[in-house]
Amino acid sequence: MPGDLAIVAQIAVKSSVAVLFAALGELVAEKSGVLNLGVEGMMLVGALAGFAVGAQTQDPVLAAGAGMAAGGAMAMIHAAFTVGLGADQVVSGLSLTILGAGLSGFLGRPLVNASGPVFETLALPGLKDLPFLGPALFSQNVLVYLAFLLTPLIWFALLRTRLGLMIRASGEDAISADASGVPVRAIRFGCTVFGGLLAGLGGSYLSLAYTPGWKEGMTAGQGWIAIAMVVFSTWNPLLALAGALMFGWLTALQFYFQATGSELIPPSVLRMLPYVLTIAVLVLANRTGMLKGRAKAPANLGLPFSREP
Amino acid sequence: MSLGSRGRTAFASGAVLSTSLALFFALAVGAIMFACLGADPLRAYAVMARGALCSGYALGELLVKAAPLILTGLAVALARTMLLWNIGCEGQFVMGATASAGFALYLAPDWPAAALLPATVLVGAAGGALWALIPAGLKNRFRVSEILSSLLLNYVAILYMEHLYYGPWRNPQGFGFPGTATLPQAAWLPTLPGSRAHLGLVLGLGLAAALFVALRRTRWGYEVRVMGLAPKAAAYAGMNLPRQTLTVMALSGALAGLAGMGEVCGVQHLLQDGLAQGYGYQGIIAAFLGRLNPLGVVLAALLLAAVMVGGQGLQVELGLPSSISVILTAALLFGFLAAEGLKGLGPALKTRAAQGGG
Amino acid sequence: MPRSRPPQAPDRTRPVLSCRGVSKAFGEVRANQDIDLDLYPGRVHALVGENGAGKSTLLSILSGRLRPDSGRIEIRGRAVRQLSPARAMAAGLGMVHQRFMLVDSLSVAENLALGAKGVRSPDIRRLAKRYGLDVDPDRMVLDLSMGERQRVEILKILCRDAETLFLDEPTSVLTEPEIRSLFRVLDRLRADGRAILFVTHKLAEISGLADEVSVLRRGRMAARNLPADRDPRDLARLMFGRDTAKAPERQPPSPGRVVIEVESLSGRDSHGREAFRDVSFDLRKGEILALLGVAGNGQAELVQCLTGLARPASGRIRFAGRAGDLAYVPEDRYLTGSVADMTLAENMLLTSGPGSGRLLDLGRARRMAQQAIDEYGISDAHPETRARELSGGNLQKLVLARELARETPLVVLEQPTQGLDLRSSLQVRSAIAGHREASAVLLVTGDTAEALGLADRVAVMFRGRISGTLEAVRGDPGQAETLGRLMAGLGPEAQA
Repeated sequence: MPGDLAIVAQIAVKSSVAVLFAALGELVAEKSGVLNLGVEGMMLVGALAGFAVGAQTQDPVLAAGAGMAAGGAMAMIHAAFTVGLGADQVVSGLSLTILGAGLSGFLGRPLVNASGPVFETLALPGLKDLPFLGPALFSQNVLVYLAFLLTPLIWFALLRTRLGLMIRASGEDAISADASGVPVRAIRFGCTVFGGLLAGLGGSYLSLAYTPGWKEGMTAGQGWIAIAMVVFSTWNPLLALAGALMFGWLTALQFYFQATGSELIPPSVLRMLPYVLTIAVLVLANRTGMLKGRAKAPANLGLPFSREP
Repeated sequence: MSLGSRGRTAFASGAVLSTSLALFFALAVGAIMFACLGADPLRAYAVMARGALCSGYALGELLVKAAPLILTGLAVALARTMLLWNIGCEGQFVMGATASAGFALYLAPDWPAAALLPATVLVGAAGGALWALIPAGLKNRFRVSEILSSLLLNYVAILYMEHLYYGPWRNPQGFGFPGTATLPQAAWLPTLPGSRAHLGLVLGLGLAAALFVALRRTRWGYEVRVMGLAPKAAAYAGMNLPRQTLTVMALSGALAGLAGMGEVCGVQHLLQDGLAQGYGYQGIIAAFLGRLNPLGVVLAALLLAAVMVGGQGLQVELGLPSSISVILTAALLFGFLAAEGLKGLGPALKTRAAQGGG
Repeated sequence: MPRSRPPQAPDRTRPVLSCRGVSKAFGEVRANQDIDLDLYPGRVHALVGENGAGKSTLLSILSGRLRPDSGRIEIRGRAVRQLSPARAMAAGLGMVHQRFMLVDSLSVAENLALGAKGVRSPDIRRLAKRYGLDVDPDRMVLDLSMGERQRVEILKILCRDAETLFLDEPTSVLTEPEIRSLFRVLDRLRADGRAILFVTHKLAEISGLADEVSVLRRGRMAARNLPADRDPRDLARLMFGRDTAKAPERQPPSPGRVVIEVESLSGRDSHGREAFRDVSFDLRKGEILALLGVAGNGQAELVQCLTGLARPASGRIRFAGRAGDLAYVPEDRYLTGSVADMTLAENMLLTSGPGSGRLLDLGRARRMAQQAIDEYGISDAHPETRARELSGGNLQKLVLARELARETPLVVLEQPTQGLDLRSSLQVRSAIAGHREASAVLLVTGDTAEALGLADRVAVMFRGRISGTLEAVRGDPGQAETLGRLMAGLGPEAQA
């Protein structure tokens, strides 16, 4: 039924946005050479902070800003440890996820069942009446539009600007970049914090737009899926968008089957699907990458940089 | 990181230094947090210490929590010793628990205790090992990062276990509560008289000692260490990395599976909500606080268990949420990282400097 | 937009850069002590010294990558404190590193843009034309030859309008024609009034190029501002503190059975490109064969195939022994040949193989380590010392001792004295010479004197092929020249 398909497409787009924000942020951080496995933790803290400020002020924009700031602050911890102290990026990122889960669970307890503001749908006049695409792409809330605009912007910034060049050089070969006068540490610090801002925004999208409200652990692994989508995208923002949409589509199908009461696929299998298929996508990314010889991570990803031998 | 096996004296002094720095850092973070919540930090710490250490009951609870932490800590530490990241311990824990429970409930409920208990233990280990072999195989065959695959499988494992005890395995006499029937008593792990501390603790301690010896004294342990410390040297020496990846991930998963088996056969005696409460993730903290040394992991696990049990005391006496202990454990890990960083152990890109010559 | 003009009428009597009393220590090692140095516009200053004399440290200090412990650096008469790479660049200093500081996965133009804002391809072409530095701005650095990469490095610092250029062992990875073209470039730069510091350990290079020469020995300036046409033997004495070393005495060969026979072997590098092709040779017990060539001519990939670490694309290797029954001293002794965070005793077990039982024989390992320590006089070390605490030379002796002790029919040695000080080099070479009777030895080296001093036969590799082979004859000065021609790909004028 075409009507159903349009609804599924609309939900798919809606469901992809948190992963997309987080994946774009992580992609930039990884391009600069910093692997941040704390995305899940940053999203949780962002979701909580956004919702808490929203519940106080009833202002969704201010709330989303607070979510971003909280994610950025979390990322700053990671940046301080990995860029500043040269600590192991994996351990630091995992710590950040554990910290974010603990912190949000702990501080969020009084906010369970509270009510906050919601980003309302802002249908774009004219475009919203397009068949199929209208409801899917142009009858969404403002954060959805923002995410879709950000994707080509980040692509352009990384590939066509001097800042992007410096970011790529820092992630590919920090020592050579440094010798060329690139402020490697500052770039890496900045990119990590940028990743946190977007992860925080992704989290607050969940608590302010997608499933309004606060629930402990409400990100349910979307931070990890975002990291996987970065790998799948071969560090290309446009492909990260494709990956996020694929995740959104799976989620939408789950709703669709539940809503229609279809017994075609048991609900528990449906709930596992996003995780299993994300793993499948990683396999696929590596296979096609091997064929094309380009699914290469930034060469210095995960390596600390220091000038003194 | 230049963790891993150092000389014994270097290990001891380094461990004491970084652990005390980590403790100091965590205590400071906790103090700020308590102050923000309007509680007197000193009083809160006193309550925690009393809650964790000052009664037979408290000590028993500490050991109950330490048992799975030792096992998951060893699981992470063993894998990391050869540069593998097993952050799927939570899932392997769940699969170990599920396999044990399923075996005891449905496959061998009538076996005599002498046969059922050891078999249940082994099935738990096998459940965890098989689950861990998935990321190992994907890494060998398709070069999929085991960090992501093992972690994503955690969600799958938990959903699968929930599916079982909400569905086919749900106890028909359970008044509709989600959960399986209680395991036959013959499959219960014996406990220390007067407490809930169970045989899983002895298992953890024994395996820690065995692993300590195996890593230092056997050819297998030597290969694992060389692969972790110098992957190029391992290839040069002709060591078989893919095969060792399978072996080590399977062993690592078995350790986490045993932890899950211990929870279900030693503490809960059935599968139900709340079984997966983060022991797999806390194992990461135990492994690094213990500096990947099996004996260090035991000490770190005891410390983490004390923080957790102490956190419960906070809830009872001061009305603070016990989840504050999770934050304290994360702060411990950050404190450890800070200590390592400040000691200048973070490796630089040494290759070029080393090869650049005079 | 680079201001790619030559420096305006520089005052050639005042130094652009001078250091006074610069010192730097790494722990116990005093890498630089009281270094004085002056560079003048329009002059090429050669700085010579053997490996480990402190040349790289001094360059790192001058380019801002290392901070000296004491001493002062003046640029155009003004003292600079806290020199960083960025500040050094801003002050007109430019460094061509021995290991090129280029981001491989970026294009030439991107690499140039990284260092200097607003550089565009036309500017690059103009600069390139002016100094004879041809290179296509749109190619990836990954795809360039070593000579081309060096040109990019020089272009990079010219785009930033550097007036002072440091070149660290610039000829070490170049072929003979590339070296000649580099010298032409340097001549033009000098004529434009730029100051050049040319660091090398090859004395033969400096006479035609430099205006003056300084000698660095064990971290100190042994001589300053000598005329560049000074007798190379004098310079050698200053460099080494004694007459140039003699190669160990050599017995005539008494070759035994053929140990390894290689037939039309071809192989690829890690990017899948052809690395060597159609290589054939055989090697007998009691014989040393040197495989001589500039780095990057396929030797490394050939060795990978011979040692079983990679598969050849085609061809045959016949080895008279069990598979893997060969000793191998790899070029990278820090990350491949040893495990830095293990003890010396544990390191002795690295290649003893899985056949040695399930338990580790740590007692035997300690005895082996102790024996190596005693035999080579490795100071301040015992079997429980960690490998990372050893100097490069001592580590190499340990690796060599371990491999030779395996008593295999074939020994493969890859750049065994690269980066070692003279004493260690001599010890390593005499150990190799002493082992000749016991097995067949394949010596892969870039050092002509080493090849001629040790080997019975020398095969030269150039662009993946063996470009010529000759029997080493002692005391024939013509041989070194023949080998040099072959290494540079100048045709087979060699006679057997």
